[in-house]
Amino acid sequence: MTAVIEVAGLTKRFGGVTAVDDATFRVEENKIYGLLGRNGAGKTTIMQLLTGQDFATSGSIEVFGQSPVENASVLQRVSFIKESQRYPDDFRAKHVFTSAPWFFSHWDQDFADQLIADFRVPVNRRIKKMSRGQVSAIGVIVGLASRAPLTFFDEPYLGLDAVARQIFYDRLLADYAEHPRTVVLSTHLIDEVSNLLEHVLVIDEGRIIIDEDAETLRGSATNVAGTRSAVDQFVGSREVLHRDSIGGLATATVLGLTAGERADAVSAGLELAPVSLQQLIIRRTNTSEKEFEVSA
Amino acid sequence: MTTITATDRPPASALGRILNVARLHVVTPWTAIGLPWLILGVILLGNLGIWALILANVAEEDKAKVSEGFGYSGSSMFIFVYMMVVAVQAISVTFPFALGYGVTRRDYYLGTGVTFIGLAAMYSTGLTILAALEEATNGWGLNGSMFSTFYYGEAWYERLFIFFAAFLFFFSVGMAAASIWVRWKANGLVAFFIGLGVLILGGGALITYTASWVAVGTFFANAGLVGSFAWSLVISAIAAVGGFFVLRRATPKG
Repeated sequence: MTAVIEVAGLTKRFGGVTAVDDATFRVEENKIYGLLGRNGAGKTTIMQLLTGQDFATSGSIEVFGQSPVENASVLQRVSFIKESQRYPDDFRAKHVFTSAPWFFSHWDQDFADQLIADFRVPVNRRIKKMSRGQVSAIGVIVGLASRAPLTFFDEPYLGLDAVARQIFYDRLLADYAEHPRTVVLSTHLIDEVSNLLEHVLVIDEGRIIIDEDAETLRGSATNVAGTRSAVDQFVGSREVLHRDSIGGLATATVLGLTAGERADAVSAGLELAPVSLQQLIIRRTNTSEKEFEVSA
Repeated sequence: MTTITATDRPPASALGRILNVARLHVVTPWTAIGLPWLILGVILLGNLGIWALILANVAEEDKAKVSEGFGYSGSSMFIFVYMMVVAVQAISVTFPFALGYGVTRRDYYLGTGVTFIGLAAMYSTGLTILAALEEATNGWGLNGSMFSTFYYGEAWYERLFIFFAAFLFFFSVGMAAASIWVRWKANGLVAFFIGLGVLILGGGALITYTASWVAVGTFFANAGLVGSFAWSLVISAIAAVGGFFVLRRATPKG
């Protein structure tokens, strides 16, 4: 596998705050990555460092084998769509769609036109006067239609309704299948994108705490449910990520069960259920679900 | 809308990238091109009205004397300061935007410089033509002067140079101030203007202390109008180069 991004010992400090703390990871070509974590975890900072928009305090970054900082040959192949993207005051949406193709050599105008219709973007309206969702749609369209070999979406859909978000996921997957490229998507809506992601990077307080294949990660834990005594007996001294109990019933999230263990559990009258990516990440980051939802 | 198809184009060359930034600046030409000309036109109309009013109210024998005063008009000066504002505004909003398009700071700054040189050329040519028109029509028939005032020089090529140098000065100072703003926000500008103030005061004090004001006056008198404006190119160059190094390490915020 070819690495598109290779990061080693990356640290970024803002004054006394360490936004990214000794991060080491690689991103492989033509895969969809999820960069997940709570607010302020360091997701945006990492993306800004990877796109040369910010400067690392220490450590090394290689994108397409070179440092991205002030490197046109790297940056011409990168598209970075961020939630907080500001547009010039006098810009209308059409000005964005007129100028974007100058900067992205893989731009597909037909695809852009189709997306503009799908997201119902009023191209002649001043961006300043658009709703939050419409502004986000402009970014999403640029990110998709630019077909950059490496595309970053940083919380791209603030204010987009559920229908528009689904359009985004569908178009991304369909276009990705036809035009393979590397996508790094950061989001709070983990369950929504869970089927999209092929690899998951979870960052917490600036540290990469999970760097795993999405499929492996999903299979790495199981919910075991049944009577409290049966659950307790089965769990024994296993590592438990989380447990709940109501009356005589209990549920435990257990790491790594073998096929034999699963059979044992079923014969002990326990029910096994998969753990959602969101739950798993919440359990693994040791944050309460409530806290995570508030931040979402 | 452009009609670019799905076929991939090769990535832009170094010059192409710089020109793309310049195109980005004028994709909405109203602020930098449309509005200034419109304001200039309105001011000219206003001046014509005022000159006509004044001349209608003075006795025939005083007209020549009165219209002599029309020569001290500063009404076209706004456009220079306006261009400094254009420079500041353009950079503060398009810098984070252009970086989102994968533009390097270097290409951004050079492309912005090309834009401003182009605008300076357009405006100085336009003003020179207006000055020639003004002279040819004997001050729009009212002996007025808005573009051919004496401090813009006498011959057309002198005016063209003075206009061009003045535009470059205001654009480059605007670029430097905008770069400081983009990099350090308000704190940077405050520090910059305090520093500038200290420098100007210190310079003034030094000249006073060494009793050199006469020498300074002689210097500019010897340099002449065109020569004095030529010296502004030095300051413009320092501002433009300084701005580049400031922007080189700036990060797009918010």
